[in-house]
Amino acid sequence: MHPERLAAIGDTTELERIRQFVEVKARSFGFSEPGIHKIALAVDEACSNLIRHSYQSDTSREFYVDIAEQDPNAFVIEISDTGTAFDPLNVPAPNLREYAAQHRKGGFGVHIIRMVMDAVEYLPADPAHPFNRLKLVKHLS
Amino acid sequence: MQLFEDTSVRIAMSKFTIEQKTHTTAEVFYLNGFLDAHTAPQLESAIAGAISEGKNKIVVNFNNLEYISSAGLGVFMVFIEEVRAEGGDIKLTAMKPKVFTVFDLLGFPMLFDITDTEDEALTKFAS
Repeated sequence: MHPERLAAIGDTTELERIRQFVEVKARSFGFSEPGIHKIALAVDEACSNLIRHSYQSDTSREFYVDIAEQDPNAFVIEISDTGTAFDPLNVPAPNLREYAAQHRKGGFGVHIIRMVMDAVEYLPADPAHPFNRLKLVKHLS
Repeated sequence: MQLFEDTSVRIAMSKFTIEQKTHTTAEVFYLNGFLDAHTAPQLESAIAGAISEGKNKIVVNFNNLEYISSAGLGVFMVFIEEVRAEGGDIKLTAMKPKVFTVFDLLGFPMLFDITDTEDEALTKFAS
């Protein structure tokens, strides 16, 4: 039993349930509605990328969303997956006019995550840790 | 957490609907519910359908949209250059602050015409 963990599969139908889980946790941590929205949005963006690009919507694959309350002022979400390592911190900021000219519909999620969270850390899987871990941190202000 | 184990609840929660009306000056899409990576393809095919019928003047009314992620914003990026090249536009209107925040974060007001009311968007098309 891990009450702060949500297990999800590689299916975008999971996004609503993931947002609900994170919203409930962020609200009880003490965030007001704008903060709750930003946290849920960042987690949605990270999980959307994971489901569609890394897991290719393979519903047999699982990932986890954990809430780690290490510090009374810092809300920490950790997303663990077994896909190919992808460091979102290496993605450049999108150029809107270029994207429109190219009819590109993706590539914004990472930028949103970096803008709405206070800290983002990516730890690729290694022999000691079989999961890639994306840590998202938001401070209570 | 038992609430989310109920299948009927889960279906209700992920509800996203689109209503489409033809006005004299533009095609208007009314979005309702939650627009994310799961529901965005629905909107993409609705707008693609209108464009394929030669309807290049499009208004998207967000009044009843509760949530949007970047997958939803991406839909407008796909079509904006195409409709403008043909003398049309996609005008976005009546967003709740929570929804506008996401557009604003990515700088969309620089590229898209976002109006407070549907009437304002329709008037711009008429003029």
